[in-house]
Amino acid sequence: MIKGKCWVADDYVMAYDIIIQEYWTSAIDAAENSKWVMAGVKEEFNKENAFKDEGFTFIVAAHNFAGGGKSIEHVITGLMGAGVQAVFATSFARLQFRNAINYGLPFVTCDDIDKGCETGDELEYNPETGIITNITKGTSFQSVPAAPFVAEVGDAGGLMNYVREKIANGEPIE
Amino acid sequence: MGMTITEKIMARNSGRDHVVPGELVWTNVHTVMTMDYLGKTCFDKFRSLGKTEVFNKDRVICVSDHLVPPPNQKFATMLNEWREVVKQHDITNFYDLGRQGIAHQIMVEQGHVLPGTISIGTDSHANTYGAAGAVGNAIGVTDAAVAMATGKAWFRVPKSVKFHITGTWQPWVMAKDLSLHIMGMMHWNGHLLYKALEFTGPAIESLSMAGRMTLCNMTVDLGAKNGIIAPDAITQRYLKDRAIGDWDMIASDDDAEYDQVYTIDISDLGPTVALPGKLDDTVPVEKLIGTKFNKAFVGTCTNGRLEDIATIAKILKDKQVHRDINMILVPASQTVYLEALRAGYIETLVEAGVAVDTPSCAACAGIHTGVAGDGDIVLSAGNRNMTGRMGSKKAEIYLTSPSVVAASALTGVITDPRTLSL
Repeated sequence: MIKGKCWVADDYVMAYDIIIQEYWTSAIDAAENSKWVMAGVKEEFNKENAFKDEGFTFIVAAHNFAGGGKSIEHVITGLMGAGVQAVFATSFARLQFRNAINYGLPFVTCDDIDKGCETGDELEYNPETGIITNITKGTSFQSVPAAPFVAEVGDAGGLMNYVREKIANGEPIE
Repeated sequence: MGMTITEKIMARNSGRDHVVPGELVWTNVHTVMTMDYLGKTCFDKFRSLGKTEVFNKDRVICVSDHLVPPPNQKFATMLNEWREVVKQHDITNFYDLGRQGIAHQIMVEQGHVLPGTISIGTDSHANTYGAAGAVGNAIGVTDAAVAMATGKAWFRVPKSVKFHITGTWQPWVMAKDLSLHIMGMMHWNGHLLYKALEFTGPAIESLSMAGRMTLCNMTVDLGAKNGIIAPDAITQRYLKDRAIGDWDMIASDDDAEYDQVYTIDISDLGPTVALPGKLDDTVPVEKLIGTKFNKAFVGTCTNGRLEDIATIAKILKDKQVHRDINMILVPASQTVYLEALRAGYIETLVEAGVAVDTPSCAACAGIHTGVAGDGDIVLSAGNRNMTGRMGSKKAEIYLTSPSVVAASALTGVITDPRTLSL
């Protein structure tokens, strides 16, 4: 069970704006990438540690979260470094959906979630059942549960750990 | 039930007879591509998996494209570290400055993509490889590291959407116009999310490899997983002296199932432009005639190929770029550059007042070579027009085909190439 407050996107969120251009060539590092994460999304986040200091546990968004076509993993490490533990959206851009799975950061698909939350609301997410509860508003939402492979990778702490373990044990990857 | 070409490729490369959309498979990858600014991280992550040798030294393709030639000390140092790590792993195919090109161009042009196989790359436009009848997919450095170690990648088999393109191409109308038209029709923000897009029909069968690469290239910007065109005689001719390895004429079954089928008659399509800010905000060029701009850009993995250069050279031959316009051409690779030189296109363009720069991603990534400054209005044959994409957030980018860029550079305002007397 994960509990904490959410930030609700008021517009379409692009990967481009989560990590702005000048940081694309930075090292992929949670501490580093989180300093300027979301800098392009809102002017108020365009200061060092501005988003991170807000202490959001969840992001709630609408369609095609992290779209616009960037495959860089800084987007995911930046969010994780800022303390984000799950993102709820009506859909996700595939490049970052894939990266999120590989890092074990839940990108959770949930219809209408964007209309049922306001920034600052206290939410609780149950990864087992996929139920998202808005404690502040007393409402709940059924999200799409993670596929078994996705859950397995998440439990391993990401694809690197998952594959490293298989290689070390001489197990086939299939 | 039959399978689409993408399903067949996923089945074939995961050792199965049949797959269905939604199924998760680990597939063999034919090649893994990475580039200068992410490559060192790929190799570092690869070694952290407990491996020292990549799965196949011939099939990890390394390209310097985003940072070359280095415009500053930071990039020069990053490139040095990159060269060191590539050397350390004894990679056969390293396309470094001097032999470079934009990675996606290199992958297809140098025969590292084969019909019926899967190739992945750490840059979003890896969808380009579908032009050669392969599944081309963009991935992050984690997937690249895993594939370098194991020769495998995981995929969820996508649903397929067919675009059946009929009719005859109008003069000066290019594959880019079709890409932008589909963008306007289907919308940029992911209405084709996770889908495999398959292009078929007479207007595709007559399309060159360069055009096919443009079309597949921009499928990532539709939110799609991949874009693909089944191999045919044009593919065969193109790959004959390039491709390394055996391949066959893989195609979708007649009874394959599609999530959607769209038919587009290309005869009705004219030159198309995306307005600044959003890729799907597209209009026919007629609506913008006379619009002012000050920078013209042709290049990128979308439109930096020989055919694109030939088109702009034809329009600008014995003419002059308008005095208010700065025009830059960046060929997609050294090979393209050399071919354009030999064909006389470069001479034509330099005489016309076009600045030609070293093959690289250039201003498309907004990091060097002709970046946009405050107040610039760029008419670009690249692939993205979001605010700040080419540099300043106070610049505007119109996206269109090379023929519209060249015709407009001539007159100094947005112009329909069909109306020029050429």
